[in-house]
Amino acid sequence: MGLTADERWDLVDQVASKVVSTGVSRRGLGDALGDLTVKPLTGLPVALAVLYAFWSIFCSFAGDLVTDGFMVKFFDNHWLPWLQSAWPDPTSIHYFLFVGDPLADNCFEAFGVLTSGLFVSLGVVLPAVFIFYLTMTLLEDSGYLPRLAVLADTFLHKIGLHGYAIVPTILGLGCNVPAVTATRVLETKKQRFLMMTLLAIFVPCGAQLGIMLAVIPETVGWVILYLVVGFAIFGFLLDRLIPGDNPEILIDVPPYRWPIRENVAKKLWNRTKGYLKEAVPFVWLGILIVNVLYLAGVIQGLSELLAPIFISWFGVPSETVAPLIAAFLRKDLAVAQLSTIAMTPYQMITAVVLISIYFPCVATFVVMLREGWKQLLAAVATLAVVVFAYGGAIHAIGILLGLA
Amino acid sequence: MKTSYTIASIVAALVGVAALILGLADVLVWAGGAGPISIGILEITGDDFFRWAWGGLVVALGGFFMLAGARGLGDLNQRATAVLGAIMVWLVAGCDIFGMICGGIPAGEESEAFFNSVGGFIGGFAPPYAPAIVLLPFTIIVAWLLLNERQGA
Repeated sequence: MGLTADERWDLVDQVASKVVSTGVSRRGLGDALGDLTVKPLTGLPVALAVLYAFWSIFCSFAGDLVTDGFMVKFFDNHWLPWLQSAWPDPTSIHYFLFVGDPLADNCFEAFGVLTSGLFVSLGVVLPAVFIFYLTMTLLEDSGYLPRLAVLADTFLHKIGLHGYAIVPTILGLGCNVPAVTATRVLETKKQRFLMMTLLAIFVPCGAQLGIMLAVIPETVGWVILYLVVGFAIFGFLLDRLIPGDNPEILIDVPPYRWPIRENVAKKLWNRTKGYLKEAVPFVWLGILIVNVLYLAGVIQGLSELLAPIFISWFGVPSETVAPLIAAFLRKDLAVAQLSTIAMTPYQMITAVVLISIYFPCVATFVVMLREGWKQLLAAVATLAVVVFAYGGAIHAIGILLGLA
Repeated sequence: MKTSYTIASIVAALVGVAALILGLADVLVWAGGAGPISIGILEITGDDFFRWAWGGLVVALGGFFMLAGARGLGDLNQRATAVLGAIMVWLVAGCDIFGMICGGIPAGEESEAFFNSVGGFIGGFAPPYAPAIVLLPFTIIVAWLLLNERQGA
């Protein structure tokens, strides 16, 4: 026998009275703090403070403690001398490929797979990626990241993206590989393409930033400024040139909560594991390929071919051409190579900006390929135009200011 | 109750003013408007954009929030603004202390050893300190007074 409508509603009331409890909610200090961090007037200064803390912790842990404190000493004083003494025949090809320069006294300049490859991927980038993901996870799980997304929404809408594009952008500062994957939070093909292209061009990864801070600390600020301006200008232009939709989104802003340790540990492990599995082998492969290209004379040939363009259009000295050419696979090491070349500060800024916007690293390239080869080709074509235009514009600014 | 409110308000305003002045001093010294400042345990070297310009601006804004919030602590939003200012100063001070810990653990480039001695590690915490660290205990008092204010409200 079926229930009547009234009986059904009575039943619903009975169930609801047993499982739903009601009361008067009182707005607390936590709620007020949550509101303040999402309003532009108070939220933007807080964002400034949080990003300051983010980078300060990143530099202290990855730079001072792990890389400079232990890894440099381990790799330069123990690993490199042992490898150089144990590896047979310093004049052989396999020595050049795996150990690199037999006269090098540090792993940074040796350029072998087992020297620079290991040092950069494990000694420099791994600690950077670890602390980066830890702070990202804490921001995410505490509830701050959605607030940052709301704050960034206005600006990002001007370049065809929405607030959550801040996630791949910040992730890209750690490593572009997970950042490209994170572009899936965006709704349309246009937005994903825009974000991927801007990531590949204007967002330097943790490895690059770490090496920039180590070898050219006095010019990093200017380099970042050029990249931020380029991000805004070309994002604005690309948004108008590329057809497609920029839909609005509704962001759920949760209350602040203490992150749960198990969740943080699980996320941290998954992300770090992703870096170790997806990026590290490609860094090694990249170094191997570039060393082979060096041996085959390809880099030298390209350098001679492109030298006139680099010198006249970008205004950098001819010695920088080889590192700039090689940078398409080893951006971070190319910055180190540039630091040994005599240049004016403006030329150094131009050269480092060029390296940053030049080409995605090989790991990012592969991940972009996985997202779709048509998108990758379009991104590379856009990148070529942007590099030419922006590199020339920086040179022109230098000429106007009398610096180049 | 009224006394507690007044004390919290005055302390928040005083610490806010101090943070505002010291934060602006950080930026000023970095910009070259004044030479390095060293008074007692307090030191502003201004040698680095990130620490002194950006960090100094955060301390100054924290001070401004404390000052702005101190005007009417009876209102929850005002109290939250003052607490937010204290938290901003804590962020910068916390980063300075974390930097000291990270810098103090390794033995240093010249040494053959990997780890610093206990004495060397502790020595890294000796004064002088940046303004945010000097302000830290005072901002904790501010936060404590404000939280008590909340309970009393």
